[in-house]
Amino acid sequence: MAEIVMECKNLWKTYGKIIAVKDVSFQIREGEIKLVFGPSGSGKSTFLRCLAMLTIPDKGDVYLRDQCLTKPSVDLNKARAKIGFVFQHIWLFRHLTALGNVELSLRRVLKMPKDEAREKAMEALRLVKMEDWAKHYPAQMSGGQQQRVGIARALARNPNIILLDEPTSALDPELTGEVIDTLRDLARMGTTMLIVSHEMPFAREVADEMIFYDEGAIVETGPPELFFTNPESERAKKFMARLIKKTKRE
Amino acid sequence: MDLVQQLLYMLQGISTTLLISIFSFLLGLTIGLPLAFIRTYERGFAVFVDAFEKVFRGIPELVLMLLFYRGVGLFLAFPFGDAFFTATFVLGLRSAANQSQIFKGAIRGVGEEQMVAARSLGLSRLQSILRVMIPQVFIFSTPGLGSEYALLVKDSSYAFVIGVPVIMEQADRIRKATYDPVIPYIVAAILYILLTFPLATWLDTWGSRKKKQLGL
Repeated sequence: MAEIVMECKNLWKTYGKIIAVKDVSFQIREGEIKLVFGPSGSGKSTFLRCLAMLTIPDKGDVYLRDQCLTKPSVDLNKARAKIGFVFQHIWLFRHLTALGNVELSLRRVLKMPKDEAREKAMEALRLVKMEDWAKHYPAQMSGGQQQRVGIARALARNPNIILLDEPTSALDPELTGEVIDTLRDLARMGTTMLIVSHEMPFAREVADEMIFYDEGAIVETGPPELFFTNPESERAKKFMARLIKKTKRE
Repeated sequence: MDLVQQLLYMLQGISTTLLISIFSFLLGLTIGLPLAFIRTYERGFAVFVDAFEKVFRGIPELVLMLLFYRGVGLFLAFPFGDAFFTATFVLGLRSAANQSQIFKGAIRGVGEEQMVAARSLGLSRLQSILRVMIPQVFIFSTPGLGSEYALLVKDSSYAFVIGVPVIMEQADRIRKATYDPVIPYIVAAILYILLTFPLATWLDTWGSRKKKQLGL
């Protein structure tokens, strides 16, 4: 079995009375693609952010390979450099070109020399088919193009894993296709990915495992087929039924 | 006092006014920008930053200048015995209080999201501030910074009460020498407009264009 890339044990995060992450344990191995889905407001984003230590969990441990990130002595900047994160609302740096966005971490975190960083960044932009837009600013691009640059920004420094928080849900429906295509390419390359998404056809195609997340906890996990045919939990059944109905309507 | 001498007086007034305005603006920037970030990201220091802002925005420049020059200068002849220094220092601190407010608003305008995105790449907090926040904060602040500069040019005229040869002081000296109570002040008024208006307007226009271009 492939090596475990990321793992969390008994993770907790609460905001006042709201429990966003309730005693969650999870692991993902090299080359795996896991897909998290569930109702909005159930804490999926917080869970992802805790894994990247962008939100510091209240309790529990997060591991990136052998390193425990929840130990106080850990250099979180170094750890985050090895984790790619793609945001729902993209959040490109608006004062930088596509190239500038991708280059930034290569230059300032990995301390690559200028030429090498440029080459690496162009390579990442080529991968998401945005190399012709290298000199453009985010405001000059469509949402789908911006998100592809967002993906390039996350993967340029060869992270151990990429966490994607609803990468297509803020986009116009006609623009989600190009982003899904990019994710498909990453899947083919064997990129380890944890994706929060409700793109069910895509999930069925690439996910090794689907995770139904509700009320701050993992309710049920299993291969995509399980969820599409006969999920065990009542909640997952109901949610899938709604989702499939919605997809059909569209 | 002949015309050539009056002209030389005014030229000195212009350069002194510009020097006070520029130096106090830079002093305000050097203190105000870090204060705004401290205020935003280190909640524990918020009380001190707010107190600083209240004090320097609340006390009239005239009071501050006389207090430091006559009062503090009595005990600390260096550096507060120097009128030019004192005027620049006082206006600089006042400007720091104003600029801190301007930048605080701009940081909010740029948005916490940009900071989160920067941190997600592994940039440290300082790197994120320097590379991601500050460039955008400046674009956001251009209208405020333009009027802050204009304010400094105008308020530098207060330095005439401690004898700094700003445009105001020079106009007053010419009035005393020529017994003309109108022309020197009109010239001073025109000079003040010329020193404030173009730069402030240019900054505002440039900022709006840049904001539109980057979708800020």
